[in-house]
Amino acid sequence: MARMIRSSAMTLALGCILLGLLALVLFAAPLWYAWQGTIRAGRTEILQADAQRLTDVYRRDGVDGLKSFIDARIRMQIAGDRILLLTDAARHPLAGNLPAWPDVPTRPGDYRVQVAIGDHGTGDHGVQMALVHVVRLGSYDLLIGRDNRLFAPLEQRFWYGLAGAIAVLSIAGMMIGFITRRALMSRVDSIRQTVSAIIHGDLKHRLPTRLRDDELNTLSLTINGMLDQIELLVHGVRNVSNAIAHDLRTPLAELRTRLEGLATIRPSRDETFAEIDAAVADVDRVIRVFDALLRLAEIDAGLRRSGFVSVDMTDLAATAVEFYEPAAELMGITLRFESDQPPPVSGDPILLAQALTNLIDNALKFAPAHGRIEVSVRGRPDGAVQLAVTDNGPGIRDAEKAKVVERFYRGDASRGTPGAGLGLSLVQAVAKLHGSTLELLDRRPGLQALITVTPAPLAAEPPGPPAGPGASAELASTALPARQPYPTVAAP
Amino acid sequence: MKILMVEDNERVSQFVVKGLQEAGHTTDHAGNGRDGMFLAASEPYDVIIMDRMLPGDIEGLAIVEVLRKTGKRTPILILSALADVDDRIRGLRSGGDDYLTKPFAFGELLARLDALHRRAQGVNQEVPLLVGDLRLEPMTRKVTRGERPIILQPREFKLLEYLMRHADQVVTRTMLLESVWDYHFDPQTNVVDVHISKLRQKIDAQFDRPLLRTVRNAGYMITAAD
Repeated sequence: MARMIRSSAMTLALGCILLGLLALVLFAAPLWYAWQGTIRAGRTEILQADAQRLTDVYRRDGVDGLKSFIDARIRMQIAGDRILLLTDAARHPLAGNLPAWPDVPTRPGDYRVQVAIGDHGTGDHGVQMALVHVVRLGSYDLLIGRDNRLFAPLEQRFWYGLAGAIAVLSIAGMMIGFITRRALMSRVDSIRQTVSAIIHGDLKHRLPTRLRDDELNTLSLTINGMLDQIELLVHGVRNVSNAIAHDLRTPLAELRTRLEGLATIRPSRDETFAEIDAAVADVDRVIRVFDALLRLAEIDAGLRRSGFVSVDMTDLAATAVEFYEPAAELMGITLRFESDQPPPVSGDPILLAQALTNLIDNALKFAPAHGRIEVSVRGRPDGAVQLAVTDNGPGIRDAEKAKVVERFYRGDASRGTPGAGLGLSLVQAVAKLHGSTLELLDRRPGLQALITVTPAPLAAEPPGPPAGPGASAELASTALPARQPYPTVAAP
Repeated sequence: MKILMVEDNERVSQFVVKGLQEAGHTTDHAGNGRDGMFLAASEPYDVIIMDRMLPGDIEGLAIVEVLRKTGKRTPILILSALADVDDRIRGLRSGGDDYLTKPFAFGELLARLDALHRRAQGVNQEVPLLVGDLRLEPMTRKVTRGERPIILQPREFKLLEYLMRHADQVVTRTMLLESVWDYHFDPQTNVVDVHISKLRQKIDAQFDRPLLRTVRNAGYMITAAD
């Protein structure tokens, strides 16, 4: 019960009931007073007229005449609506239908008083509220009143009506509260059950929603959206952990087998060395995956934004193209470079270079024999620089586009090629760091990978001299001494 | 070379010290910062290998800083498991000359120590570099082998210059990436090998004696020796 009262629906219902009662009282009270006032005024008039008549009798016939008049009147009593009492100065009743002087002063005036009307043949009306008028006739006191018998049923009905209204209001209010609470509780319960199912690990569940768009429904829809996102993320994490497990487990398993083989078989010297070389290669694979993951985490955390400097994208791309040119030539692929010489933008030269080499690397992997790869750097009017690598390879199906940037995802086309499936993830992370995303556009045939470096305000520190006098101008990342932590051995 | 290794990991230091001795270097080992500081300050070494995280109250970088402040110019290679770019920058700013992250290949360590030592002996920009009959003039950027001039692209020139400045030493792919292209990451494909073979085409193909050699599991070496 306490829980029921604490429920918000019940609280609301109780509040409504109280408000309803207040309205009822505010409505009934003036009505009651107006009614009572009208009755009182009317009666006072009647009583005064009555008193006048009795006074006339007294004046004409004296006290005995009045006594007999009163007696006669009481005998012929028109029901018990008249209260009459004549007393002498000592308050001894001389005539009338009241046994004793009621609790009113003898001063002439109108009073409201409780009176007990005696049995005078017409029935006992018992104690009741009556309006009385008191007059003094010589040394006698006369009390004239009317009882409320006529109005009693009306008043009673008024009170019954009010009580009924209160009862109906309260019961209806409680019922509405109860029903609302039940409806609310059933929906809240279903939400609670769903959520507890989710807590226990079943992310497939969704909150029930209705067509009607009420508050709870809106909330449910929002929560469902959140659950979709969580499921996606959990799925992603699960995929990544599976992939990590796979990518690390495979070389580790090979390594283990090799070492175990060496320990048990004890092969010849040459074979042993060959196995050790292979084992070192296995370890290197593990380290590579590790490094790539750490680098991604580092970029994702946004730690490197502080290291932004002014970067000439043309230099950076030219270096990368030149770096890959011999390899492309060897594979019979044409590698072209184009730039409209945009002004420098702020960015991380090391990461941008790595992202670009990853893109060219990918393009080389997937370009057909005698294929074409084009690297282009274009400035946009708003100061951003677009870096694009276009190949005429098989491209990426739309369905796969979202997946290729996922960590460890390896498309069907890349099976059997080296790599851990982290290349495009890194490009994506670098693009994100520079305020854009990696766009993969169809160039039928082929694919264009595009990242945009948006002009972010440079850090407060003034940019240093572009490149040292001895350093070759085509060096990509010699933009700032601060960002060149590795000593360039060959440069003086 | 006389080398000091400051490293607390027993296994790593044993392995490195043994390897360095086999390569013909005299090697001292300090297992903590205090000993390392003492040895580095008092003995004349050619190169110091400094681990960053050391037991006790003295950190690797602090030793490097103190040594630099007291005017010691001994080349220092910082060895650390902290691989973040920021950590590298901190290491090099404190006065280290090179930074190698753990885990590392011994060949890489050896090659970098050689390079550091060579660099510390001073580089004369004007003196032509000679390896056998191959001659490179840094000032005029002329390359000849025997009597025949060899035409090189700017980057090929840079590559050859680096190799020749480290003649008779193993130079790893990572070292080439860092110093010739300024790439501080590992591209997925072995593009460096292609550059080397292109260079080899130009300097070795038409001659009886190949000078540019591939050292298995390590890198490359240019040498006139047999």
